[in-house]
Amino acid sequence: MDNDDETYILLLLADSNLPTGSFVASAGLESYITHGFLSKNSTIIDFVRDSLATYAHTALPFVSDAHSVISTYADAKGDDNIDDVVRNLVTLDDLYEAMTLNHVARRASKAQGIALLTLYARGFSRPPSLSQGVEEEIRTQEARLSKLLDKYKLLIRREEAPGHLPICWGVLTGALELTLGQPSPVFLVHHKYIIISFFLPHLSERSQYLHLFLHARSLLSASVRLNDIGPYGAQQLLLHAVRPLVAAEALKCRDLRTGELPGDKENFDQTTNGPASTWPLGEIIAARHDLQHSRIFNS
Amino acid sequence: MVSRDSPPSTLSTSDITKIPAGGGSITLAVHGARAVFEELSSAYPLKLLSPQVYERDVAIVYLLSYGGGLVAGDRVELDVKLKEGSKLLVLSQGSTKVFKTRPGQRLASIRANGAYTALPTPTDDSLTTQTIRYTLLSKSSLFLLPDPVTCFRSASYNQIQTFNLAPDSSVVILDWLTSGRKALDEDWAFTRYYSENEVIIGDKRWAKDAMLLEADRETAQNVGRLGPLPRRTLGERLAPYSCYAMVLLYGQQVQKIIEKFRARFEAITVFKRGMPEDVIWSFSPIGLPGAEGCEGTGAVVRVAGKETELVKGWLKEGLKGIEEVMGADVYRRAFA
Repeated sequence: MDNDDETYILLLLADSNLPTGSFVASAGLESYITHGFLSKNSTIIDFVRDSLATYAHTALPFVSDAHSVISTYADAKGDDNIDDVVRNLVTLDDLYEAMTLNHVARRASKAQGIALLTLYARGFSRPPSLSQGVEEEIRTQEARLSKLLDKYKLLIRREEAPGHLPICWGVLTGALELTLGQPSPVFLVHHKYIIISFFLPHLSERSQYLHLFLHARSLLSASVRLNDIGPYGAQQLLLHAVRPLVAAEALKCRDLRTGELPGDKENFDQTTNGPASTWPLGEIIAARHDLQHSRIFNS
Repeated sequence: MVSRDSPPSTLSTSDITKIPAGGGSITLAVHGARAVFEELSSAYPLKLLSPQVYERDVAIVYLLSYGGGLVAGDRVELDVKLKEGSKLLVLSQGSTKVFKTRPGQRLASIRANGAYTALPTPTDDSLTTQTIRYTLLSKSSLFLLPDPVTCFRSASYNQIQTFNLAPDSSVVILDWLTSGRKALDEDWAFTRYYSENEVIIGDKRWAKDAMLLEADRETAQNVGRLGPLPRRTLGERLAPYSCYAMVLLYGQQVQKIIEKFRARFEAITVFKRGMPEDVIWSFSPIGLPGAEGCEGTGAVVRVAGKETELVKGWLKEGLKGIEEVMGADVYRRAFA
């Protein structure tokens, strides 16, 4: 996949209108505000920073490993090891479930995860009407990936796998061949307002970077809905404040892994390379979401 | 500090000399109606103490370290086994103090012997590591209620605890830390704190809580041409609280405690507040692991408070139900 293809996929994935469930998730922001944590000394950008740091450290290892499972499968062509691939994904998914002990976060993550797989099946797969004239090899490859993703989605529907967001994001972006990329300018159209541009940081996986960017952006969107900041203000923050935060976290967490995949277990030092939450306060606040007398978000 | 009944055959002098520095081993069993330590051994700087208790079927063990704290390079490795039907309360005497890193001036330089090579070896001598493996056989109960860990300025600490539970065993795991020595103005001034609690029930991983608190490193602050980020300290991230606790609960013996937490939590309604409360807590149920023979359900409770004493008082009250299992005299020793 060349740079233009990747950029185009990025444009599609960055669309804030995608039905990925982020409209109902505030990742604890609503509860943070209700509990009185927003003040003169602590602003929305502090919340974004702390939330992003802990999310990057917990979720990126799973994004990276799920992505690598799919990429390996995609590269293997013909070789039919689909059951092993699915087993590896379930292993990652189960670990994320065991590490996500906050019930509100679990709920939100599962809702958004399955939404991504549905998005692939319905929104990104090639319809038969547009399949004519496409090379046989490409069609075969797309069919293999669709088969895998359908299989995984079925497991989630049967509740044999939890279907968490970071795993599903890794699966989706792996299937779309969004991979390592040289730094290049990317232009994103935010749904109503302005065209923004940013540079992807050196050596950072686009899938990881975009995942963090979307986390931060959905927090700012939630903040707009909660009437904490205005839409223009959110845009300013996205461009000038969020950008270095996303870049820093992507850089810091890009080499983290779960250590769960076959071959990774030996010599894996989970204390330095594994997932961990970094913000215990955020855990408590997010888990208290349902206690709010009135609320507009689901998490 | 050996068993209160006749000395078991497993405890011989030659066994003791084999324990690597910082190593230890505890095996608790029920003989007749009495709780008996079949093994209770440790090596410097780890020390185990077991006081007499009047409740015949329960035992208490204190995990201590010489000099009241751990220093850079210390490495504690402990195996704790609870045999069928035994009940153990694990405590520490005062908070576990982790001193600042002092490379080159270590009190004890510890390397595990061959038996422990499967574990990650710290590459950095300035790190203090505590690894404890608990094994709970059928119908046994573990109450791990130590005082909080206090990491001093510039300290670097790893704590890894694994719990292998029989599906019909019960456990309360408390893991907590303070922001440092208030009297010396230490407020989240340590370098790094990593704590992991992994609970495996039957053969299924039920919960794995991993927490990393790390001071921002200057070098990580510069993001290329985006320039340096303003510094954000651990203290700012964790404000206004100076003590954080996590409690994992599982099993038949602690169902009442879990239900009480659940009822209290669900009764809370939060209206918009102007400022944070002095103590804040959360309750999340953790479902059945699906293993054969699992009894009851589990939960995680998290608490934060502006003062350590507030959190201690809250925990002592919330876990009071342990009295029914261990007896009031035994429970009184926790949160003392």
